[in-house]
Amino acid sequence: MINTFEEREVEVERRFVRKEKDIREDIAWAKINSDVLRSLERPRMLFWVIFLGSLALFMFGVSCEIYQYETGLGVANLDNPQVWGLYIATFIFWIGMSHSGTLLSAILHLMHADWRKPIYRFAEAMTTFSLMTAGLFVMVHLGRVWQFYYVVAYPNERWTWPNFQSPLVWDATAIFTYLTSSMIFLYIGMIPDLAICRDNATGFRKRFYTFLSLGWMGTDRQWANFRVTYLTVACFLIPLAVSVHSIVATDFAVSQQPGWHITSFPPYFVAGALYSGCAAIITLFIVLRYVFRFEEYMTMPILEKTAKLTFAISMVWTYLNLVEYSATWYGDDMYAKQALIYRATGDYAVFWWSMNFLGSVVPFTLAFKKLRNHIPTMLVVSILLNVGMWLERWMIVSPTFANGIYPWTMDHDQWPAWVQWGMVAGSFGWFNMLFMLFCKIFPSVSMYEVKEMVYHRSLHTKAHGEPSVNHELAAEGGTAS
Amino acid sequence: MSITNLLNNWSFYRNKRPYRGQYDLNRQYGEYKWAMAVDLDICTGCNACTTACYAENNLPVVGKHRFEHGQVMHWIRIERYWDEKMGEFPEQGTSFLPMMCQQCEAAPCETVCPVAATSHTNDGLNSQNYHRCIGSRYCSANCPFKVRYFNWWNYPSTAWPAPLEDQLNPDVTVRTKGVMEKCTFCVQRLSEAKSRARTEYRLVRDGEVLPACAQACPTGAISFGNIVDPESKIAKMWKNQQVDLYKDMQEKDNTVRGYRILEDLRPFPSVMYMERVRDAEA
Amino acid sequence: MSESGINRRDFLKVLGLGGSSLALTGCGNTDVQSGVEVVMPNVHPEDFVVPGLSVFYASTCTQCGSACGVMGRVREGRVLKLEGNPESKISGGKICGLGQAAVQAQYNPDRLTQPMVKEGDKLVPTTWEKAMALLDDKTGPKSGISGEQFAFVTGATSGHLKALIQNYMDSLGSKNHFVYEAVSPAIGFAANRQVYGVDMPRLHLDKAKLIVSFGSDFLGTGASPVHFAREYAKFRKAPRGTLVQIEPKMTMTGANADRWIPIIPGTEGVFALGVANELLNHEEYVRATSPDIVALVRKYDRETVSRATGVRPELVAHVAALLWEKTPSLVISGASAEGHVHGVQNAMAIQLLNKILGNVGKTVDGQAQSPFPQIAPSAGSFAALKAMNDEMGGGKFKAVFIHGANPVFTAPSFMGFRENLRKAPFKVAFVDAIDETAQECDLVLPILTAVEDFGSHVAWYQPEGVEVSIQQPLMEKLHADTRSMGDIMLDLVKVRRAEEYKAWPDFFSYLKTAVVAVKPVVKYTDTDEHFWYDVLSHGLIQVDAPQQEVGANFAAAALDLSSSAPVQDPKFPFYLIPSERHNFRDGRHANLGWLQESPDPLTTVVWDSWAEIHPKTAASMGISEGDYLEIASQNGMLKVKAYLFPGIHPDAISIPLGQGHEALGRFAQGVGVNPFRILDPVFEKSTGEIAMYGTRVSVRKTGSKETVVKDEGPYNTQLGRKLVVTLPADVAQLSKEI
Repeated sequence: MINTFEEREVEVERRFVRKEKDIREDIAWAKINSDVLRSLERPRMLFWVIFLGSLALFMFGVSCEIYQYETGLGVANLDNPQVWGLYIATFIFWIGMSHSGTLLSAILHLMHADWRKPIYRFAEAMTTFSLMTAGLFVMVHLGRVWQFYYVVAYPNERWTWPNFQSPLVWDATAIFTYLTSSMIFLYIGMIPDLAICRDNATGFRKRFYTFLSLGWMGTDRQWANFRVTYLTVACFLIPLAVSVHSIVATDFAVSQQPGWHITSFPPYFVAGALYSGCAAIITLFIVLRYVFRFEEYMTMPILEKTAKLTFAISMVWTYLNLVEYSATWYGDDMYAKQALIYRATGDYAVFWWSMNFLGSVVPFTLAFKKLRNHIPTMLVVSILLNVGMWLERWMIVSPTFANGIYPWTMDHDQWPAWVQWGMVAGSFGWFNMLFMLFCKIFPSVSMYEVKEMVYHRSLHTKAHGEPSVNHELAAEGGTAS
Repeated sequence: MSITNLLNNWSFYRNKRPYRGQYDLNRQYGEYKWAMAVDLDICTGCNACTTACYAENNLPVVGKHRFEHGQVMHWIRIERYWDEKMGEFPEQGTSFLPMMCQQCEAAPCETVCPVAATSHTNDGLNSQNYHRCIGSRYCSANCPFKVRYFNWWNYPSTAWPAPLEDQLNPDVTVRTKGVMEKCTFCVQRLSEAKSRARTEYRLVRDGEVLPACAQACPTGAISFGNIVDPESKIAKMWKNQQVDLYKDMQEKDNTVRGYRILEDLRPFPSVMYMERVRDAEA
Repeated sequence: MSESGINRRDFLKVLGLGGSSLALTGCGNTDVQSGVEVVMPNVHPEDFVVPGLSVFYASTCTQCGSACGVMGRVREGRVLKLEGNPESKISGGKICGLGQAAVQAQYNPDRLTQPMVKEGDKLVPTTWEKAMALLDDKTGPKSGISGEQFAFVTGATSGHLKALIQNYMDSLGSKNHFVYEAVSPAIGFAANRQVYGVDMPRLHLDKAKLIVSFGSDFLGTGASPVHFAREYAKFRKAPRGTLVQIEPKMTMTGANADRWIPIIPGTEGVFALGVANELLNHEEYVRATSPDIVALVRKYDRETVSRATGVRPELVAHVAALLWEKTPSLVISGASAEGHVHGVQNAMAIQLLNKILGNVGKTVDGQAQSPFPQIAPSAGSFAALKAMNDEMGGGKFKAVFIHGANPVFTAPSFMGFRENLRKAPFKVAFVDAIDETAQECDLVLPILTAVEDFGSHVAWYQPEGVEVSIQQPLMEKLHADTRSMGDIMLDLVKVRRAEEYKAWPDFFSYLKTAVVAVKPVVKYTDTDEHFWYDVLSHGLIQVDAPQQEVGANFAAAALDLSSSAPVQDPKFPFYLIPSERHNFRDGRHANLGWLQESPDPLTTVVWDSWAEIHPKTAASMGISEGDYLEIASQNGMLKVKAYLFPGIHPDAISIPLGQGHEALGRFAQGVGVNPFRILDPVFEKSTGEIAMYGTRVSVRKTGSKETVVKDEGPYNTQLGRKLVVTLPADVAQLSKEI
């Protein structure tokens, strides 16, 4: 007999997960509820390790910012012409990270790819938090951060407006819009689940979830309205997601700097964004699956599908990358060509070649089914891919400054100071902290959609009479009702 | 830029810059277009202009360490280039190039500033509004000449140990940390001259006002003036050197020395350089 | 007394103060210096002070010896900036970077603000009363000091302060006024005196079609850089003159040359004679030259000259051909040709070209003869310090005054000047900032800077007539406890000659009287007062004076350079070139931040010293930029970073002068190294001047390395961009330009 959670877990692991099975079709809805709600209560120890570690990193980042705020940006070792450094590189990285959430939740939603359902919630949360992290970098890189609101078009007594020609204004607008929309999208999608939380919670939590679930009763009318709203916001979000990273790309593409002034930058940035986002989903998938014991929901077939998607996007990215290189090489823009040669042979050569290796060669591991289903490999590969993507952004920003148009001011010696590295590290701390808090407070697996998925599948099975998976465990049922 | 202004003058603003007729002696605004000419043949590279600029424009002395990190604040710098085809020795001397903000007519820095802190004035200057600047440094990133200098540190508190701050020019702001700055063509002198002229119901006379660099330059390599006035020396020089403010690709005789730097990027600089001459037979 | 410790009187004071300060803040202004609110009385302002408006006052720049007329921009009682005075024939309304920085000397945070007296090993503040009492005690009539026992070391000096110093020396009965300049034109003067009969002829750059300069950095550090820069600009206008520069290390002037020829240091004279030999192939030149000189010059054929100088033989003929083709021309000798054992001969051999080419009288003629011998300039020499040092080493002097010179810093270590100075029991320095010499002194008196003080100057290079440049205060003195050098000297003179000088309470009145006395010379007819204000408002007195006669006397014997070949010492294979930088000169201006941060034109290095080494030499020794080198002469060693510089002879190493201060405040201290220290005791044989370019050094790579702080980026070419375009002179049509 199976009595305790632990024994049951071992059993589940043995029978289903290890066998690379998908979610059981006969899983009881009550059990789904109980499993997911459990993630709000008792995570594994690793949760606290990650959370506290992230908090510490974040605090370090905050102290770096305080130091920089007080002293001036000089402490970051930025200079003329190296005016942006890691701040903008990491900004693009986090913006990119935000894209896959929308991809999974909105695009795949429209495409009825139901395998996304157990994982889209956390991907959507990732979108929101990485946007918030990206926003931080816009702030910390400003010389006078206390006046950041000048960028926003707000009515004021001086009748001054931002410069609408500037891609930075587009940026600010797009990012704020995207952030608001994706938060609304995340929230709307959670309402039915918040109602489940409400029904199972006590004390202040009950009040909290009651407030958030907006009186959700699960009536037909509510479901109908919910479906329409969700679909509308999803449709709204997709062009927004594409535009946000295209606009970040225009920050570079509309400038005159060699290595930036490239027409293919918007699609290239979007591809890069999806790429790093998918890789990040794989990382977080593996972490959440372990930390919150979601092995039954975040199953290996889902991981495999995500990996396949990542591989496909990596190839698109590689293609666009090669387009960029060859267009520069065969073009007659002397400045761009010199900048490209500098990237490949100059002071950043090690990073540039690592970027190409990590971004274009390492993803070939995803082409092998065996490796796709090997969790440690996937963890390492997904992290490596993101290192590669971070390097990509750095290699866009810094070498161009180091070897721009004007020969006298070229600067090959600049190296980011510890303040910059500290803030990059702090941003990871901030993101992880927010993400972990989210998963602890909100259901990170969408309960109602998993139920839907299971239901649809079982209907499908019944209709086609395929052999069902075994029923023993289902009969034993979950513990919570 | 106010939205009313934008709407009222829509046709003016959507014009491609620069356009012929943008500056006109008979217009109430736009009767000045300040321009410069630098004769590289007589520039000796002595750096008098740089020091004059430090004195006039309250430029901070950053010190060795910050200079090493590229955080120097010289608005005008003298570049020294060796000949690419130089043999063992530089037998034709070296090339000096005084480089200051080129006050481009189609300035790459202006379009990208998110808060319009840098914009074009009616007399053709590329102005920098320190109060509006939030320090995104996009302008510097997009400046092909890299003549914009950012206040990486809080210089007012460190660069002028007492009583050095007594030397500061009260006509020029002392810039705080986090703002971008650059050569202004000594706009404080221009404003003063303009307002003096206005009180006398006239335009600024040719040679009445000079930026600090041009005034100091011992060889007189830097000329400055109002190019709208066809009688001014600078207008005559530009015309003589066949450099047209409104053209990006000059069609000029090969005996003529005038050119503008990085014209292929189409920033339409307001600084004309005159080619260095070397006696090939010497 | 009340319990609170405030008596009635204090209470009233507080009340009164409170009441008035309340009233003041209402209409007050913020004081720039302290930030406190003070009243700015608009009712009775100082003369010419209108808040918000600047006034320009004419004065004279004293940063170097050229005595450029300047205009100081004064606002709210502070001098903000200097511009050139357009009326000055020297500056012509222009100014160099060094001159601009004079205002930084004024506001320098490390200025000496009170008298200091030595107690033990340290200088401690004292008062003027005590300082003057000490002076009186040591040098006054009661001290029993004789004229022999007293020495006064000054830098180059001219004008009425010089006269006053002379009067003081006379009152003491002393002849020991040593005018010392570390980088002095004395060798050139000696050659000029032999050849032309004058110290310094006038050089008409603008009239020449070709200038051949043997190491003369007339644009950077010469007699009158601003004036020569203006002349140079005219020279480059149509018809464009050609500049040929022959020197071991490229100077700023060399950098502007049409043809720059590197040469083994010290062989410039041989090269000149080689060129002369080529020129004498033209019959008309032979006719104009005395036979013994022709005979001497014939020895210097192309191949011989090439072997001696390291210059390709065809270049000797080429320079001669240029000189033949382009007349009138001008041949100038400069520091790197003159700073050798045979410096005078070198210079004379170079001047011989002017004679052969018939330039004397055309591009070389006489300066105006100054009608005021008393205030005529003394350009100074190294030999003066050497003489003084030798006597001081013998313990001869009981009291030494030092003003306008920093011999502890600039004297080579072999002289042991610091040790000898310590032998003098009483040393007084008159300085505005404590330098190395002042540190050694027993009494240091703070004097006003040039922009606070009255004065008059006469430059030793006068382009037109004689310009007596008047220096007037551009602002009130900044530090209350500083005094005018002239006032101090006047007080000292009065100690012994009170009667003769009682008419003048201060230097101002002395100067005014002296200046007004010039009135008849310039045929001014209005009142004295008018004349004085006229002079002040123009900042100068322009005197038309007859031109000096310039001869051209060459004796073949004096020109013989056959024994001038440099001595080869395998232990010290390199020639040391201690190069003078236009901003620092001998190092007295190293405490000015603007100058420290103004990049060296050729290397663009800032805030440091460096050793220029040819890339070829560097490659053979495995040296790359930033490597610390040990550069050792017989008299010392310097550790300095290498900078690879193509404009230097491969056998030479150049270190700029002026850095390496142990004192002089925060901007100068600990920056770079001081090449004066390692100079060898090599002297010019006829004048006794130190041969600045005669030191041989060895170079060793230490293995440590550091970034060279410079403005230059990783590339030093234009990378195919069209930044500085060069047009051949025969294509350019300068005559059609405006």
